[in-house]
Amino acid sequence: MVVVNGREQVPWSDGLTVARVLSALGWDYALIAVTVNGDRVPPDRFASFPVPDGADVRAIHIAHGG
Amino acid sequence: MSTITVNGKAIEVAVGTYLLKALKDAGASVPTLCRHKDLTPNGSCRLCLCEVVKGERSEFVTACDTEVVDGMAVLTDSAEVKKHRKLIAEMYLGRWPNVPAVKAIARRCGVESSRFAPEARDENAKACILCGRCISACDEFVMERILSFAGRGDKMHLTMPFGEVDPHCVGCTSCAYVCPTGAIEVVDDLNRPHDPKMIRNHGMKVNVEMATLDAKQCRMRQVGTANIVDVMQKYDLLPCLNYKFGSHPDAAKIGTNVLRTKYFTQGAADGCWLGCSMACAKTVDGFELKTGPYKGQRVCVDGPEYETSGCASNMGCFDPDFLVEFNFYCDTYGVDTISMGTTIAFVMEAFEAGVITTAHTGGMQLRFGACAEVLELLHQMARGEGFGLEVGLGIRRLKEKWARELGADPKFLADIGMEVKGLEYSEYVSKESLAQQGGYAMAIKGPQHDEAWLIFMDMVNNQIPTFADKAEALHYFPLWRTWFGLMGLCKLCWNDVVPADNFNESEPAKIPDHVRNYFKFFEGMTGTPLDERKMLEQSARVYNLQRVMSRMFGYGTRKDDVPPYRAVGPVTAEEYESRSERYDKQLRELAGFDPAGRTTKEKMAALRSYREDQYRKLLDAVYARRGWTKNGVPTVKRLRELGIDLPEIIAVVQKDQEP
Repeated sequence: MVVVNGREQVPWSDGLTVARVLSALGWDYALIAVTVNGDRVPPDRFASFPVPDGADVRAIHIAHGG
Repeated sequence: MSTITVNGKAIEVAVGTYLLKALKDAGASVPTLCRHKDLTPNGSCRLCLCEVVKGERSEFVTACDTEVVDGMAVLTDSAEVKKHRKLIAEMYLGRWPNVPAVKAIARRCGVESSRFAPEARDENAKACILCGRCISACDEFVMERILSFAGRGDKMHLTMPFGEVDPHCVGCTSCAYVCPTGAIEVVDDLNRPHDPKMIRNHGMKVNVEMATLDAKQCRMRQVGTANIVDVMQKYDLLPCLNYKFGSHPDAAKIGTNVLRTKYFTQGAADGCWLGCSMACAKTVDGFELKTGPYKGQRVCVDGPEYETSGCASNMGCFDPDFLVEFNFYCDTYGVDTISMGTTIAFVMEAFEAGVITTAHTGGMQLRFGACAEVLELLHQMARGEGFGLEVGLGIRRLKEKWARELGADPKFLADIGMEVKGLEYSEYVSKESLAQQGGYAMAIKGPQHDEAWLIFMDMVNNQIPTFADKAEALHYFPLWRTWFGLMGLCKLCWNDVVPADNFNESEPAKIPDHVRNYFKFFEGMTGTPLDERKMLEQSARVYNLQRVMSRMFGYGTRKDDVPPYRAVGPVTAEEYESRSERYDKQLRELAGFDPAGRTTKEKMAALRSYREDQYRKLLDAVYARRGWTKNGVPTVKRLRELGIDLPEIIAVVQKDQEP
């Protein structure tokens, strides 16, 4: 199991990436800053960055708008 | 990934990468003159020429604007490549012999002197070398086409239209920023800023981000703030049917893509002022009106912005033609779309609940989704007639009037009437964000989100879980966002485009690099360096003074900072049951109330008790953080700290001080 923002839970599976975690939550927001166990993940690595079982993922949505 | 070979060595490259970048990453040395990191490459200088081997044959391509293809075999320093590059460099040196950038490139290509001495030879060390970067920058950074080439052959030169100074040029200085020779110089002492270069350099960062990142981020240039409609729908934050719900099955009908593909006709630099590289203002041209005094005429409509779209969903009017016409007539009559939309959403719910009937509305069936009736109300209001005139009173007075004259339940009206301090709410659902409930209801002028928009930080990111965290956010953000207004600066270039490396910041939600931009704008203009502490102090002086002024006018205390319950939780059983899983979970996990076997009414009461108690605690925490009394009035101590303890100000708050 992976815990996102200390609250949401996403089941872990082999080959889980940051992109798949966000997709599982339906979070396709354009401005998200992600850390996995404290490591900062550049947006262009979301699709390849591995998320280990039990990871603490932080997906910070940056507010924008009028 | 693609595999290519560079000078015989195989490398892996991401699909879509330009060859020049791949070559540089592989350690190959390739000269360029026209390439700039922030511009779309165009291969105009031809110096990055490389040889692509295809069996027995070869093809020469410019590396900067050629995308890699799987299996590509590239030579960067073959005899043929060197020969061509040398010839090109020699021609450059012959025409512009004293330009340092040309001399450096020529040396790199093994050329020390030139056989060419054309008629157009220019001895100026800062000559324009016709690389075209400035033309691209004008187009891509600020979406203008002030500069272009004119003439042919050796008569080709850089110019503005007809060789005259184009009045559309606003001096954004993008052209000078990218010029490799210094041919374009900036003279920018018009209003004598302390350090124009500092202002320019930090402004240019925003221009570059807009040109290179906006299309992947917020699409402000394409659709403006209307990009948020889809986001709010997705996160259950789009107000629907007087803020009962945060999403609706029909929301896509007024969504971002409909506006972009079928309505918005102007996407160029139609911002608040010429030269704004964000240019988020959008326009619908040639729109034929169906109602009102201009019925049948084709007009130009300024919008819709997100908030106006949110009004449409709030009224249940998911018809884009209605949205644009509502936008037009609100503008034309000088009515704020937010106040109008939120008020009518309240009126619609009151109608559906039986508080008012057709006997009061002049026969109009004012149910959610009644598009034609909404427009008729607007026209009546403008004419000062009928029920429209009554609706023009706004929510606060309607609540009082209906309770007084119709015997309506004032508690129900207070729960569903989305106003605080007499101002109607803007268009976000705050039920699941305690911090935003405070951000709205504690805002000095009333429930606008321009002091604080904390929903993601609180509800999604879980970044501010404690009361102390929320209080800190409700201290920092209202002061930071008030500061824009004090300086006359737009807020949108703070967080409607975000630096590519913002993910690397320790507090990414604050977008620290952009905060620093604003500090540099201030320093560049005034000569006074600014940091977060000083900025907060500048803003706090005004913010606290505003709160004292509210007190002078009979507001500005705790009772004025209380939201209607609709902004806090579900007022009706329909609302609760639509998200019962969420609410049941909160009762169980947060409120210590087991929902099993309980009626909806019992669960709603328990949830309300819990949430209202949370809100009271939030007020306590925020007032303490701001240096205010428990009743929400600035303490004399705080006013002294800020240096605004003038006798007439102290006199206003003296009676509110705690012993």
